[in-house]
Amino acid sequence: MNKTNDLLSKEKVVQSVVIADTFTDEFIPISNDIPHALLSMLNKPLIDYTLEFLSLGGIEEVFLFCSNRSELIKQHIDKCIAKGEGWSLTMKVHIIVSESCQSFGDCLRDLDAKGLLRSDFVLLEPGVLSNVPLLTLLEKHRDIMKLDKYATMTIVLQESGVGHRGRGSEDLVLAADSQNRILFYNKSTKNRSKKIEFPLEMFLENPSLSILHNVRDTRIAICSASVLPLFSDNFDFQTKDDLIRGLLMDEEILEGTIYAHVLRGNQFGGAVASWGTYRSLSQELMQKWIHPLNQPRQKNRILKNNTVIGACSKVSNTAKLSSSVLGLNLLIGNNVIVEDSFVFSDVKLEDNVIIKRSIIGPGCIIKTDCTLTGCVLGQDTVLEKSTCIENGLLQSSTPDNESFEKLSNKAYKLLEDDDSNKSHRLFVSDDEEDDDEEGFSESEDELSYTQSPVPDDTKLFFTEVIDSLTRGFDDNLVCENLILEINSSRYAYNVTLKEVNFNVVRAILLISLREPIGVQYFSHLSRLLSYFAPVLKNYLRNESAMLDSLQAIEDVVSSGENIKEKWVIAVLQHMYNKDYLAEEVILDWFRNLENSGDLYKRVKPFADWLEEAEEASSDEDDDEGSD
Amino acid sequence: MSFLQEFQVVVLAAGRGSRISEITAGKPKCLLPVGPKPLLWYPLYKLQKSGFYEVILVVLENQKAEIQLALEKSDLEIKIDYFTIPDTGDLGTADSLRLIYDKLKSDVLVVSSDFISDVNLKGLLDTHRAHNASFTSLLIHPQHSEAIIVPGPKSKHKPERDLIGIDEQTNRLVFLASASDFEEKLALPMSLLNKHPKIKMYSNLLDSHVYVLKNWVIKYLKNEENFTSLKGELLPHIVKKQLVKPPEATNTNQSIINNNDPGDIFSLAKEDDLELSIRELSSFNDHTGDLKGPYHGDVIRCFAYIAPKGSIGVRINTLPAYWATNAKIIDYWNKVAHSKELALKSSKATISSTQVDDKCIIWENAKLNEKTSFKNSIVGSNTEINSFTRVFNSIIMNNVTIHQKVALENCIVCDGVTIESGCKLKGCLVGSSHVVPEESEHTNEVLTESDRLMEF
Repeated sequence: MNKTNDLLSKEKVVQSVVIADTFTDEFIPISNDIPHALLSMLNKPLIDYTLEFLSLGGIEEVFLFCSNRSELIKQHIDKCIAKGEGWSLTMKVHIIVSESCQSFGDCLRDLDAKGLLRSDFVLLEPGVLSNVPLLTLLEKHRDIMKLDKYATMTIVLQESGVGHRGRGSEDLVLAADSQNRILFYNKSTKNRSKKIEFPLEMFLENPSLSILHNVRDTRIAICSASVLPLFSDNFDFQTKDDLIRGLLMDEEILEGTIYAHVLRGNQFGGAVASWGTYRSLSQELMQKWIHPLNQPRQKNRILKNNTVIGACSKVSNTAKLSSSVLGLNLLIGNNVIVEDSFVFSDVKLEDNVIIKRSIIGPGCIIKTDCTLTGCVLGQDTVLEKSTCIENGLLQSSTPDNESFEKLSNKAYKLLEDDDSNKSHRLFVSDDEEDDDEEGFSESEDELSYTQSPVPDDTKLFFTEVIDSLTRGFDDNLVCENLILEINSSRYAYNVTLKEVNFNVVRAILLISLREPIGVQYFSHLSRLLSYFAPVLKNYLRNESAMLDSLQAIEDVVSSGENIKEKWVIAVLQHMYNKDYLAEEVILDWFRNLENSGDLYKRVKPFADWLEEAEEASSDEDDDEGSD
Repeated sequence: MSFLQEFQVVVLAAGRGSRISEITAGKPKCLLPVGPKPLLWYPLYKLQKSGFYEVILVVLENQKAEIQLALEKSDLEIKIDYFTIPDTGDLGTADSLRLIYDKLKSDVLVVSSDFISDVNLKGLLDTHRAHNASFTSLLIHPQHSEAIIVPGPKSKHKPERDLIGIDEQTNRLVFLASASDFEEKLALPMSLLNKHPKIKMYSNLLDSHVYVLKNWVIKYLKNEENFTSLKGELLPHIVKKQLVKPPEATNTNQSIINNNDPGDIFSLAKEDDLELSIRELSSFNDHTGDLKGPYHGDVIRCFAYIAPKGSIGVRINTLPAYWATNAKIIDYWNKVAHSKELALKSSKATISSTQVDDKCIIWENAKLNEKTSFKNSIVGSNTEINSFTRVFNSIIMNNVTIHQKVALENCIVCDGVTIESGCKLKGCLVGSSHVVPEESEHTNEVLTESDRLMEF
C-alpha cells in the first residue's frame, strides 16, 4: 500500500478504548472466576453489548485493555469473530494485555507508552451499555475544541432522578456554566454528608451556572489526545474522577477543561459498576430502554412476573419465579421460590430452596431446604441441605485471606472486615431505606447556608421542654402526655433526635437543681428521676441516646451551676441502676473525658467501681446507697 | 360593600437614599430628577399603565408635603393614598409593611420607588397567580454597562451581588442570599439538591425589589418583629422555609395542648381546602424526575419571574446608576413611559439661549439667559443660568442659581446651589444649598457643607 494513503486512512479511523476491568472488589466472589467483561447480563456477556454499541456508534477500531483473566476474554472475542458477530464486520478489536496494571490510570499510562492513539477517541470504563451515536458526540467535542483549545474531555451523563436505581451508590453533584463546562465535580458514595460546599468564587465569576444533581455518569467519555499524556504526567491519577478533580483543582498548572454532555430523548447510557447498577441495567435492557441493544432473543424466554429464563432449563411446575433473571441449563426443583435474584447458568436448585435478592454464580448446586437472602455465591459453590444464610458472600474454594467461615467442602463464607462498607454492594438493601432517610433529613435541617448553624430553634425547644416538664411534675400529669408534648415541640422547632435526647435529660437535671442542694436535694432528685422514668425510658433507647444524655450531664456540670461533688456520681448511679445507661457506654464516655478535667476526677471513683464490678462479673444491682 | 381587590399596591418611598447621601441631603430621594420627571413618577406611571387605580404610597412624615406637592404638579391619574411613617428612627422596608398591616387585605404588590423599567408586570403577576405562590420576585438581567465616569472623587464602585438560585424546571426560587454573607465557601444542604436536582445559580441578576406577596406573608411579618428588611431578612427566611417540613399534625385527642400556635408560618401558609382538593384530583404536576406530587406538597412556595433579556430595569440607588440612567433616559423614554410624548423643553421655561442641543431637558420655570450653551444636560425648575456660561453633560436640579462665565462639565448640582461667576467645575458633585465662591476651580470633588454630610 502507498505510504501516504496509509497515513491518511489511519488519520480517519475512529478509535475507542475500552478498559475491561473494574479494579475493585465490588463483584467478589463472582469476579474471582469470571472477568468483569464476561459477566453475563440476560445471558450474554457484557462485553458483547459494549462492542455492539461501539460498532453501532460508528467506531472502527477498539483497544480492549484486559488484565484480569485476559485469556478468557481473548478466547471469547476470537469465538465471536469466528462466529461473525455483527460488530466484527465493521470494527477491528485489538486486545491489549497487561497484568501489571493495578488501576484505570495505569492502563491509560500504558496506552500512552504504546502510542497507539493519535487523535480524539472514545474512552469507556468497564461494563458500558448505551445507544448513543458516538460520531455526533465526537463532532461536538471537536466543535468545543475549536472554541477552547484546552478542552480535554467531554463526559457523557444520563439524566436520572434522585432515588433512581440506576444511580447506584454514587451521588454525583456537578456545576457547569452555560457552555456546559464543568466547574465543580463531586462524586460521593452513600455515606452522604448533609451539606455540600462550593467555592464562592465560582458563582461570582460566572453570571449563571447550573448545579446538577439529576444525572449519573454513563462512564463514556470523549477524550482529546491530551488525556493520555495527562495520565502519564500525573502518576497519582488512578481513575477518571482523579483526572477531573485534578484538572479542576489546578487549572493553571494542568491546563485542561472538562465538558459535560447530558443525554436527552431516547438516548441512553449506563455502566455496570456494582450489583445495584447491574440490576437496574438488566431491567432497563429487558424493557428495551437501550434499543437497539437487546437481550439474546434466541436464548431467552420471557416469563410472566418480569422474569427471564435461558434455554435448556428445566423448571418444576410448582416453582415460583418472580422479578428474576435465570440462566441456561438450570434445574429447578419443586416448590422453589426465586425472587428479585439473578441465577447464572448451569445452576441446580433442589426442592424447597428459597432464594431472595441474591446472585447465584454459574455451576452452583443448592441442595434442598436452603434459604438464601441477600447473598452472592461464587462459581461452583455447593450448599448442603437446609443451609440458611443472610447477607453473605460465598465461594467454592478456600479464600486467600484468614477471615472466612467454612460451611462445607465447597462453600466458604467470606467475613468482611467492615460490614458497613460492603453490605451496600448487595444490591438489595438500600432503596427501601432511602425514602425515609431523605424525608428525615429534610425535616431536621435548619438549613442555614453559612457554616455557623443557627441554634435559636433548639434553644426555644429547650425552654418548651423545661416548661412542659415542670408543669408536668407540679401538676402530676401522665408522662405519656409529656412525651407527646415534647415530640410535637420537636417537630415545631425542627430539632434532631440527638438534640431531643440531650435537651430532655438536661432539662430534667436542671429542674432538679432548682431545689437547693442540701440533705433534701438527693431525695428530691431521685423522686424527680423516678417520676420521669417513662420519659427517660422513651428517649434513652440506644447507645447513641445514652451518649447524648451523658453529654447533657457533662453540660450541666460545666454550666457552672453550684453543684456538689457527689452530684455527678449520684446521677450516674441512679441512671445506671435504672438501666437508662449501660455500663459500656459510661465507660466509653469516661475514657474520652479529658484526663485533667474536674469532671474526670469526679467520675473516676464511679468508673473504677464499674470496672471492678465488671471484673468480678457480679451482675446483681448494688444498693441505691448514694442518696 | 366593595369587592376585595386581587392585588393592593404599595410603593415604598420612605428610603433615605443613604447610599447616595451626597445628592439626597435635604431632599427626598424619590424626587431626584431623572430626565424630565422626578424619580417617583416612573414607578407610579408604570403602575397606572399596568391598570392599577390606586396605590398606597409610604413616605416619611417630614417629606410628605414636598412629595405631595411634586406629584400634584405631575400628570398622574392614579389615586395615591399617602401613608406616613415616622421620620425618626431607621425603619426598614419590612417595618413599613408592618405599619400598614391594617390596610392590607389582599395580596400585595410591593414596588420600590426607585425602580425604572419597561417590564410588563403581567408576567410577574401571572407567575404568582399560576402557582399560588407565597411570594414572587421580579428579576432582571443586567443592563449593558459601558464604563462610565461618575462625578465626584474616583472610587471603586463595588456593586452588591445577590446569589439567586432558581429551579430550572419549575422556576421555583430556591436560594436567595447576598454574596457578601459568605467568605470562601458556600454550603448547600443536600436536601435542597435532592429536591431540586437542577438549580440555576445567578450572580448577576438585579433584584428589582418588586415583589408580589401573599397576604399571609404580611400576617406573618406582623407577628415577627425581628425582621426589618424585606430583601435582606424576610424573603430569604421564607425561601429557606420551603425546605422545612411542616410539623406533623399531632393527635389532638391525646395531647393536652395543641402545639400549633396560629402565628406559625405553616399554619398561616395553609392553603384553601378547595384548592388542595382540586390539585389532588387533577393530574397537574410542576415537575418530573421524582415521584413526588406537585410542588413536593409544599405550602410555602417562592417563585421568580425573570424579565426577558433586553428589558430595561434599573434601581436608582447608587450614584453610578443615577448618573447612567440620566444619560440614557432619552433613549429609554419611549419604552419606560409607554410612548408618552417627551417634552424636552417645558413650555413654561424661558429659554433665550440659542445653543441648547436636543439632548437637553429643561424643566418648567427654568431661565436660560442669552449667550449660554447647553449640551446633553438637565436643568431643573426655577433654576436660573446667566450669560457666558456653558453646561455640558451635567444635571442641575431645582432652584439653582448659576452666575456668569461659569463652566460646568460632568457635574451634578443639587437643589438651591449658587455658583458664583467665573467658576470652573469638572466632574464635581455640589451638595444642596452650597455656595461655590467666585472663580473656584474644582475637578472630581464633592463640594458640600461638611456638617451636612455628617448627619448621615
